[in-house]
Amino acid sequence: MILDVRDLSTTLFTRRGEMKAVDGLSLSVDAGETVALVGESGCGKSLSALSIMRLLPDPPARIVAGEVRLNGRNVVGVPEETMLDIRGKEIGMIFQDPMSSLNPVATIEKQITEVLTTHGELRAKAARARTRELLELVGMPDATRRLEAYPHQLSGGMCQRVMIAMAIACSPSVLIADEPTTALDVTVQAQVLALLKRLQADRGMAMIFITHDLGVVAETADRVVVMYAGRKVEEAPVDDLFEAPLHPYTAGLIAATPIPGAERAARLADIPGMVPPLSDLPRGCAFAPRCPKVMERCRRERPQLTEPAAGRSVACFAAEKG
Amino acid sequence: MDRFEFPHLEFVARFARNRGALLGAGLILLVALMAVLAPLLYPTDPLRIVGAPELWPGEDPDFPLGTDSLGRDILAMIVHGARATLLIGLCASAVATLIGVSVGAVAGYFGGWVDEILMRAAELFQTIPNLIFVLTIVVILGSTLSNIVIAIGIVSWTSIARLTRAEFLTLRDREFVQACRAMGMGNGRIIVGEILPNALPPVIVLSSLVVAGAILFESAVSFLGLGDPNLASWGRLVGDGRLLIRSSWYICAIPGVAIMVTVLCLNLIGDGLNDALNPKLRDR
Repeated sequence: MILDVRDLSTTLFTRRGEMKAVDGLSLSVDAGETVALVGESGCGKSLSALSIMRLLPDPPARIVAGEVRLNGRNVVGVPEETMLDIRGKEIGMIFQDPMSSLNPVATIEKQITEVLTTHGELRAKAARARTRELLELVGMPDATRRLEAYPHQLSGGMCQRVMIAMAIACSPSVLIADEPTTALDVTVQAQVLALLKRLQADRGMAMIFITHDLGVVAETADRVVVMYAGRKVEEAPVDDLFEAPLHPYTAGLIAATPIPGAERAARLADIPGMVPPLSDLPRGCAFAPRCPKVMERCRRERPQLTEPAAGRSVACFAAEKG
Repeated sequence: MDRFEFPHLEFVARFARNRGALLGAGLILLVALMAVLAPLLYPTDPLRIVGAPELWPGEDPDFPLGTDSLGRDILAMIVHGARATLLIGLCASAVATLIGVSVGAVAGYFGGWVDEILMRAAELFQTIPNLIFVLTIVVILGSTLSNIVIAIGIVSWTSIARLTRAEFLTLRDREFVQACRAMGMGNGRIIVGEILPNALPPVIVLSSLVVAGAILFESAVSFLGLGDPNLASWGRLVGDGRLLIRSSWYICAIPGVAIMVTVLCLNLIGDGLNDALNPKLRDR
C-alpha cells in the first residue's frame, strides 16, 4: 500500500466544545488505484484530506488518533520540517477552485518553477525548461506563450491544468484531488478527468478523489468510500457500489443522481433533511433521523463497520439484517 | 489577452488618468532633478556667506531669491536643501516600510500570541506623541542625518505595520496559500514569495504618504534647531528665518512654500498610485 490511513480521527477544539470532524477513518490506496471519497458537503471529506496532508489549521483542528502511513512511514507526528519535504514530493494535492488556487500576481512560469526549486531538485535554468515540458504534459494549448501569462488571463480549465502540473511536478506517489472538477464546465470536466486518468496511468500514482458527483465517481474510481458526519459508512468496489448499495445513505445518494435520458416526469429523489451539525450528533447512527429504514436500535447505539463480503464494508444495522 | 499584453503600460496609463498625480509627479521630478544637480548648480558650500544680509528677492540679480540674515544665498540653500529634504524623506520612509512590513507580515501571517505581542508593541509606539518621540530620539542619539532618519522611521512604521498585517490576515487564508503549503513551501517562502507581492500595492501607496510625513517631521526637527547642523534642509531655513518674520518674511516663506509644494505633490502621487494599484477602482 502506498497510502494507508488507519483509524484517523481529527477533532475540532472550539469554544462550543469538541467536535469529531473525522472519526476513525480508515482507507488505503495502492499504486495506480483511485479511491473516491464521497459524501455531502460538511461530512468531513476535505478535512480528511487535509488531515492526511497535515495541513489542518491548528488551532482549532488537531489529529487526535490514528496513523497515516505514506510509503510505509507514519507521517502523523513527524516534525513540520519533514512534512515540508513530503508535501509536494511524495504527496500532491489539487484543489476545488483552480482560479483562486493560483497566486494572482505571479506568472504561470514562476509558480511552477517555484515548486520545482522548493524541493531543490533543479536549478532555476533547468527548472524553466522542465516547466515548459510540464505544461505540454498537462495538455496546455500554446504552452510556450502561456508561460508568461497570469492566472486571470487563463480559463478555469487551463488554470486547473496548471494546478495539476504543479501538483505532479515533483512526481508524487499519491495525488489527492479535492473536487478538482466541481468549478469547471461539464466539457472541461471531462477533459480534466481524462488528463488525470492519463497521468495516473503513466506514472502509477495512487489517487484519492474527493467529490460529491457520483457520475464522476463512476467514471474515475476503482473503489469508493462513502462518508457521513465524519465517519466511513460504506466502502466497496465501484461497480458493486452502484449495483447494490448496502447503506441507505449510499442508496439515497445514487437515487438522487439525475440520469440523462431518463423520464423527466418523476420528481428527482432526494434525501430529506440535512447533515446534522457536528456539535449536535444524534446518540445512535448519525444518519438515523434521515434514514428510510430506521429502526429502534439505530437511535440507541451506533453501528460499527462490518464486512458482509470481501472488499466491502458497511456500518448499518439494517444492512446487517439483510 | 490583448488588454493585458503590457501590464506596465496599463499601470502608467491608469496613473496618468489622474491629472493631479501627473502634476505632482512632474513637480517632484523637478525637485529631484534640482537635488541631483545641486553640486553642479552651486558647487560651493551653500551655507557660505556670499553677499549683503537680508536682500529681498529680485533686489540683486546675483541672488534671485535674496539672502538671509547672514547674507547667504537663499536659492543655493533651497537647491541644496532639496537634496537633504528628499534624502531624509525617502530614507526615513524606507526604514519605516522595512520595519512596518516585517512586523506586519509576521504578525498577520502567524497570528495568535505573536500577533498579540507585536500589535501591543505597535500600540505602545502609537501612544507616544510622534513629534516628541522624534525629538527625544534625536536628542539621545545626536543630531546627524542618519539618526534623524532612524528616529523618523521608528515613529512612522506603525501605520504600515497595521496595514500590512490586515493584508496578510485576509491573504493567508486564501486558497493559493493553502495550495503553496500543499506543495511543500515553508513559511518564509510563502510570506516573502507568495503573500508579500499581493500585499504590496496598498503598502506602496502608504509609503509614498510616509515620505511626505517624514519631510514634515524633518522640517519640524530642523525648525526647532535640532537638525543636522551641517545640512541646509528646508526646515532649518524656516527655523533660521523665524526671528525676522516681521521684517524679512520671505526668508521663512520661500523654504516654507518649497516644503508645502513637495508634500502636496507627494500626496497627489499617493492618490495616483492608489488609483493605479487599487483593483477596486480600476474600472471607475
